[in-house]
Amino acid sequence: MLRQIFIVSALNFKSLKGRFWQSMVIVIGLAATVGVMLSMLSMSAGMRDAYVKAGDPNRAIVVSKGADQEGQSSITRAQAPLIADAPGIAKDRNGKPLADRGIQMGLPVLRKDGSKGFTTMRGLSDNVQGVRPELHIVQGRMFQAGKRELITGVGAQAMFQHMQIGDKVILPDGQWPIVGVFASGNLMEGQLMGDTETLAAALHRTAYNTVLVRLASPDSLDTFKKALTTNPALSVTVKRHSDWYKRVGNQNTFTLALLGYIVGAVMAIGALFGCLNTMYAAVSTRAREIATLRALGYGALPVAISVMLEAVLLSVTGALIGAGIAWAAYDGKQDLFNNSVFHLSVSPAQFELGISWAIAVAVLGGLFPSIRAARRPVVEALRAT
Amino acid sequence: MMRFLPLVWAALMRKPARAILTLLSVMVAFTLFGLMIGLNATFDLMAEKARADRIYTWPRFGGDGVPVAVARQIETIPGVKAVTALGFIPGYVQDPKNQAFVVMVDQNADKVFGDWQIIPEMWNAVRKDRTGVVMTKAQAQRWNKKVGDTFTIISKQVKRADGKTAWTFKVLAIAEDVPQNSNGFVFGNYDYIDKARPLADQGKVSEIDLLADDPAASTEVARRIDRKFASSATPMQTITEKLARSGNDFGGLDLKKITHGIALAGMFMVLFLTANGIAQSVRERFTEFATLKTIGFSDRAVTAMVVLESALPCILGAGLGVGIAAVLARQIPKLMPPNFGIPLPTISPMVILWAAASAFAVALLSAVLPILRLRQMDIATALSGRT
Repeated sequence: MLRQIFIVSALNFKSLKGRFWQSMVIVIGLAATVGVMLSMLSMSAGMRDAYVKAGDPNRAIVVSKGADQEGQSSITRAQAPLIADAPGIAKDRNGKPLADRGIQMGLPVLRKDGSKGFTTMRGLSDNVQGVRPELHIVQGRMFQAGKRELITGVGAQAMFQHMQIGDKVILPDGQWPIVGVFASGNLMEGQLMGDTETLAAALHRTAYNTVLVRLASPDSLDTFKKALTTNPALSVTVKRHSDWYKRVGNQNTFTLALLGYIVGAVMAIGALFGCLNTMYAAVSTRAREIATLRALGYGALPVAISVMLEAVLLSVTGALIGAGIAWAAYDGKQDLFNNSVFHLSVSPAQFELGISWAIAVAVLGGLFPSIRAARRPVVEALRAT
Repeated sequence: MMRFLPLVWAALMRKPARAILTLLSVMVAFTLFGLMIGLNATFDLMAEKARADRIYTWPRFGGDGVPVAVARQIETIPGVKAVTALGFIPGYVQDPKNQAFVVMVDQNADKVFGDWQIIPEMWNAVRKDRTGVVMTKAQAQRWNKKVGDTFTIISKQVKRADGKTAWTFKVLAIAEDVPQNSNGFVFGNYDYIDKARPLADQGKVSEIDLLADDPAASTEVARRIDRKFASSATPMQTITEKLARSGNDFGGLDLKKITHGIALAGMFMVLFLTANGIAQSVRERFTEFATLKTIGFSDRAVTAMVVLESALPCILGAGLGVGIAAVLARQIPKLMPPNFGIPLPTISPMVILWAAASAFAVALLSAVLPILRLRQMDIATALSGRT
């Protein structure tokens, strides 16, 4: 049986050369479908990556109960010390808990192309390096507590105007200079940071948005969570930082991803009709060859399988071409969407997605032609011209 | 050319499955084409309708809004003709999933938004009845409201003095939609929220919109506003309507480039398909074409037949596809999650023209190679079947 499939398929692929342009319909159809879909998904995938990398399983984020995004959360000045004193938090050398009282707000910026956009500006309290060790200064210096100054991420510097050291950022009651540039390898790179208390004063904020803590160990989340949720003075939600960003990333990239999948699905339907067309033509071209094989005693199933294999081979080839083009054109390119700066991504996972769509199209498009090939009466096929 | 139609029809119907599958594939590609180019048509329409002299400004750090006094200060800036202050009520109807938005306007709104499809009676109705709103057809349809109904929006951001979050309005009138705002809008009287809010929030507005004296100077006026407030307690972010509605700016993505790319990829896909279909069809009937030539059909006649055979599924598929796109465009608000953020495609005459042109281009390109082959064919060889 396997031998039969092998022989029939080998014969089949040998004759592909003669049907080259016809077969290219499937290849091009899937290349266009997968190329377009992965190009679009490179945005949502890259953006989601930046979010996922911003999270850390060794950190926990505390937000007010029910808050979906950091901006919706409010932690009062009275609540913050209760959170920082809870068990389960890592301590610095002086025995101080590694807890960062943060605020965040939208900051209008001028994009490099001259259009107006916005990014996120964060207030970080002391212990920045302890809580966020991934954040390091690459140029200039760190902002100082109590001073009206900011640092900018390398992503923000790449995508927005007026983000050089010495440039001024407009804030209420005066403009703040940029004193340093930082890298962090994640979403934060597209943002600006300053001192929480100084920013809060300038913006008339009476409460923090979140408290971010470094856990003593990844397992201490439960201890920490239990201490906070059982404290009647607090009404907060505690989430592992990595889980938080995974969810927020999915939420913020939902529309983009949905668009990519919708366009991909519509194109896949078009490609499917093309695939059906080509495979019907292929089995009718090969009618005599198939009939001869059947007359020689080859089974119907190997014939059907060989037709399916051909459809899959052509589709996957197309998908790889499309994915390759999307990869070459977009992977790693820096881009932005709303307030997020990130690198576009066409990853192996995206390739896999493209290939699985191609296989689905091939199976659907090859099924009926392969049945027809296997079912066609031998005598009739041999008589046909 | 039409006299060949029966011949061409017969040719297509010789392999009905192929004809139908080709047609379906072309149709799907043109559905996508219609939606994509239709989206561009919406952007163009928005940009075209955008007024060069209208300017929007709002606080750069706008959580609590900006004192209405800022509007009065803006009135004194040289080049400013009329100023209106707006208060926003963002919220939802019944369920947080159903996000909604009400704009509360002051007495000068009609001076700045006089070109919108709001008749003077509607502006006056809102002025007279402080608890009333006017909504456009798109919004009335979305919330299933008619004149006289009550409309309640729950807002966590804009609270009442008594701490309640529900704002209830009476629907006074239903207005026509404007292309700049295809999802529609709801507006009421700013006085109402101002008086109903806690003392600390009173006198604050969300956005200030204005007209410049001279459309050509509006960019400069916008810059003046930004500069005037840059070092104040409420720095402002100012943008001209022309720039805001330049259309292809969706969170920083160049939607025009993306939609063109998608439409082009779809066309490329069907081009290959139709080119193959017609090439195969001609190959199969090579002997027949030789016979036609023998009995006196000219090269031109044969060319016409091939073009017609290639064009028929393209034109038909394009028509069906754009038709489906037009139907889908209308259903998008129901199919997509609320606040999807992308305007609805418009199947304008321009879109239909582009679709027709693309369909012809695909048909002609597909027919080129088979036609060349038929012109160069050696009739004797072809008739003998040795091809």
